[in-house]
Amino acid sequence: MVAKQVQFRCLMCGHEYSGMYDHDNVTERSCPKCRSNSVRRLPDAKAAKK
Amino acid sequence: MNIEVGVVIAATGMDVYDPTEYDEYGYTRFDNVITSMEFERLICAGGPTEGHFIRPSDRKIPQKIGFIQCVGSRSQDGRGNPYCSNICCMNTVKDTLLLCDHYPGVQASVFYMDMRAFGKGFEDLYMRSKEEGVKYVRGIPGDVVEDPETGNLILTVENTTTGKLEKHELEMLVLSQGVIPRQDGDTVRKLLTLSTTSDGFVMESHPKLKPVDAPTKGVFIAGCVESPKDVKDSVTQASAAAARASILLNAGKTKIEAITSQVDTELCNFCGICAKVCPYNAIGAPDRKAEKPPMIIQAACAGCGACAAECPQDAIQMRHFRDEQIMAQVEAIVKDDPEKHLLTFACNWCSYAGGDNAGTARLQYPTSSRLVRTMCSGRVDEKFVMHAFKLGAPMVLVSGCHFADCHYINAVHWTQKRMDRLWNKLDKLGIRVDRLQLEWISAAEGQKFAKVMRELEERVQAVTDEEIEFTKKVLAEEEEKAKKKKKPKAKAEVSV
Ligand SMILES: [Zn+2]
Repeated sequence: MVAKQVQFRCLMCGHEYSGMYDHDNVTERSCPKCRSNSVRRLPDAKAAKK
Repeated sequence: MNIEVGVVIAATGMDVYDPTEYDEYGYTRFDNVITSMEFERLICAGGPTEGHFIRPSDRKIPQKIGFIQCVGSRSQDGRGNPYCSNICCMNTVKDTLLLCDHYPGVQASVFYMDMRAFGKGFEDLYMRSKEEGVKYVRGIPGDVVEDPETGNLILTVENTTTGKLEKHELEMLVLSQGVIPRQDGDTVRKLLTLSTTSDGFVMESHPKLKPVDAPTKGVFIAGCVESPKDVKDSVTQASAAAARASILLNAGKTKIEAITSQVDTELCNFCGICAKVCPYNAIGAPDRKAEKPPMIIQAACAGCGACAAECPQDAIQMRHFRDEQIMAQVEAIVKDDPEKHLLTFACNWCSYAGGDNAGTARLQYPTSSRLVRTMCSGRVDEKFVMHAFKLGAPMVLVSGCHFADCHYINAVHWTQKRMDRLWNKLDKLGIRVDRLQLEWISAAEGQKFAKVMRELEERVQAVTDEEIEFTKKVLAEEEEKAKKKKKPKAKAEVSV
């Protein structure tokens, strides 16, 4: 699978941002605002709605 | 060719960075711009010029030579690599001393951002180079142009010590190129199931305690395959690797982990997920047609537990960290005043040790957190988290090693994927997703551990009784539904 653009949301501060996601090579996530690692990859449908 | 061996030491070395993409330096455009590796060939008695240092454009001995440091290293602009290549500073110092020794009167200038001269005798060498008259200019040149008549190079640099823009005319320019992971190293890496850090170098089993062991047992690493290093460090590492290897070879037998996984063949439905998940390739894939269950190579299993957590049939158990053992801990924690406690799953090597670090550093953090230790965060099954919520836990934290520190190659990747699945599941059920948190905390991050505990304590208190009751109700209903679905298989489930 190739990397694709997805939407992330920090569950600590609520900050949302887009970034690359590769299911075969997941990388460590850290919120660019508060540095929390509780960063959820929003489901595609939700990300598309935004 | 088949060779039977007891251990393998990977010492496949490195490659050097090609500075062509730094077009402003004119490498490949100007004859007299060369790399540090090409410099080595020119000054080497066995090289094409028999050790005579001449410049390519007119074969004259240059009198003014410049060196640009950190070409392709410590870069933040997307070109080259973000890491320090370790050897280039001292290599340049050595090169300038060679030039001064071979060609007295030659003027060498070094353009740098920082000179890193740590290591035995290196500061002395650096000072000697300065005493020989080598000019060190703090500033990385922005532009190099060639005088077409003389072939000389005019370099523009902001001297950050004086704050002035300077122009330097040089007869030859050496680009101190960085070190990169070996470009054809994939075959060896795959063969030995070696994983790499984000910079592409091979990852050691533990950065402090097992620096020459690969995570795969019986495999050791030495030299630049692990990270950029000089000859002395490579020899030190190779000696250590050889010593570590000889321990195994002389013993003739090996101790295996007590904490390994085992398959319940009655429950297995041959899906093969376990074999895909295992970071060590320690699970032989099942064969659905032949109804052959997966085979776990006990000597290769390191005990991360990712297979047990991912198995949809719960057909894999970890010795000493069985599902029922962990569930019992969860139940004990939420037995009294569940609404007051933060339930934390902490991995043995990093997060749990991070908690210890916070303790020994006497950092203050709330006492409401209750820890469940697993060997790896990859062991934290979805059902442990759901069980905790079902029993009334207000918040659950899953914590593990940073990706680069994962004790089990890349088992944390599965933690991350599972967390995404769990958040989606909670969302679907109408449960607030931020009640499940994830943090990567290393053994040295006692500060972070304490900070996370403090932050989550506030959140625990903000979870309302209504929320907890709703969660309990929803998850109890879900469990009922799941039970009904599973009923036909009940007979098989008895034999664990
Ligand atoms: Zn955040």
